[in-house]
Amino acid sequence: MGRILIVDDTLFMRTLLKNILSSGGHEIVGEAEDGDIGVTKYKELKPDLVTMDVVMPKMNGIEALKAIKALDTNAKVIMCTAVGQEQMVKLAIKSGARGYIVKPFQAPKVLEEIGNVLGA
Amino acid sequence: MAEVPAKLEKDGSWVTSRIDIGNDGIILKDPWNVTVSYRSIIDLQKRGQVIILVATMPDKTERQYKIASVEKVLAILTKKVIMAANAYRIMAHFMSPAIRGGVLVTDAKWEKGAISVLKTGIWFVSQEKQISVPLKEVASLELTKRELQKKKLDVIKIDHLESGEVVTSFILCPLSTLQVLYNFLRDATKEMDMKGSELDQLDAQAAQVAMLIYSGMDTKSIENMLNLPPEELNAIYETLLKLKLVDVVMVRKEVQLTPKGVRYITDALKPPS
Repeated sequence: MGRILIVDDTLFMRTLLKNILSSGGHEIVGEAEDGDIGVTKYKELKPDLVTMDVVMPKMNGIEALKAIKALDTNAKVIMCTAVGQEQMVKLAIKSGARGYIVKPFQAPKVLEEIGNVLGA
Repeated sequence: MAEVPAKLEKDGSWVTSRIDIGNDGIILKDPWNVTVSYRSIIDLQKRGQVIILVATMPDKTERQYKIASVEKVLAILTKKVIMAANAYRIMAHFMSPAIRGGVLVTDAKWEKGAISVLKTGIWFVSQEKQISVPLKEVASLELTKRELQKKKLDVIKIDHLESGEVVTSFILCPLSTLQVLYNFLRDATKEMDMKGSELDQLDAQAAQVAMLIYSGMDTKSIENMLNLPPEELNAIYETLLKLKLVDVVMVRKEVQLTPKGVRYITDALKPPS
């Protein structure tokens, strides 16, 4: 089980992810509503894994991912995006993302992916 | 191919028999003793180790044949049928599954093969794979773009249900063919389209509830997450049911203790004398 930071600009998505991840036995150590705050919270909380929305105000998910990887090359970040933005996948993977979740998602598959990345 | 053992069903009974998979058709021995030409086949479904073929007879009636055999035989038969059946068929590239339950399948790759649209389903067949997507399980269709070898190419994106999971597959072929295939599939699945009057019945909260159901949340979790009283959630469920967006899978009971129940609990909690 892991300590997870959720970065997403919508409260609804954060709450949904929090519910799914908690039900899988993970600890939600923090939440952030944009990339900028996400990077700050990463420094502060040192989570085992980050779920990162791609489209966010101020600093988007890809920029935040790069900033986190600059701080910690071993950081485990799973990107989370809406249908139709799959072209961001290559960019995210190139920037160091360990996984990619497309909204809408199903709880068991999300937990499986999180488990795979945490176990890797 | 030489004759191979198989079981054939007729009138509800299975008979140990043999089949001969030829170039133009399949010979079904006892109890059918018939040659079914691939060109007459309009549908193919696979359920475990059984293949169900539907063929059009000379008198225009349809006849169903059920064949059970080992996987290797069924795979050969499936390929023959897909490549020659009376169906809309194109050569194309496909990627299936590309996304499963919202999680990107990391080892997904484009496969070259044939796509055949039969009466009840779409079949993807390549050297390595045979994938069937029943039309009734197609949740959405979209003409979109996907990057391949640094080029943005037009693809059809199909979301379909597979054992309760939402799976996304992609089809890639020349745009003109893609458009024809897309229109064909849209037409074949048009009964799932939402009408404007139906959409009007769904507000933002109903959409949130539907999203949470999609994610696998149960009723209690949805009530807690959206801070909804049970009556309001029930009303939203009724709307979703009326629009055939959900099915009832279980009816939970909310109960309270009767005086007899209260006495039972009170007695049970008394220290032993």
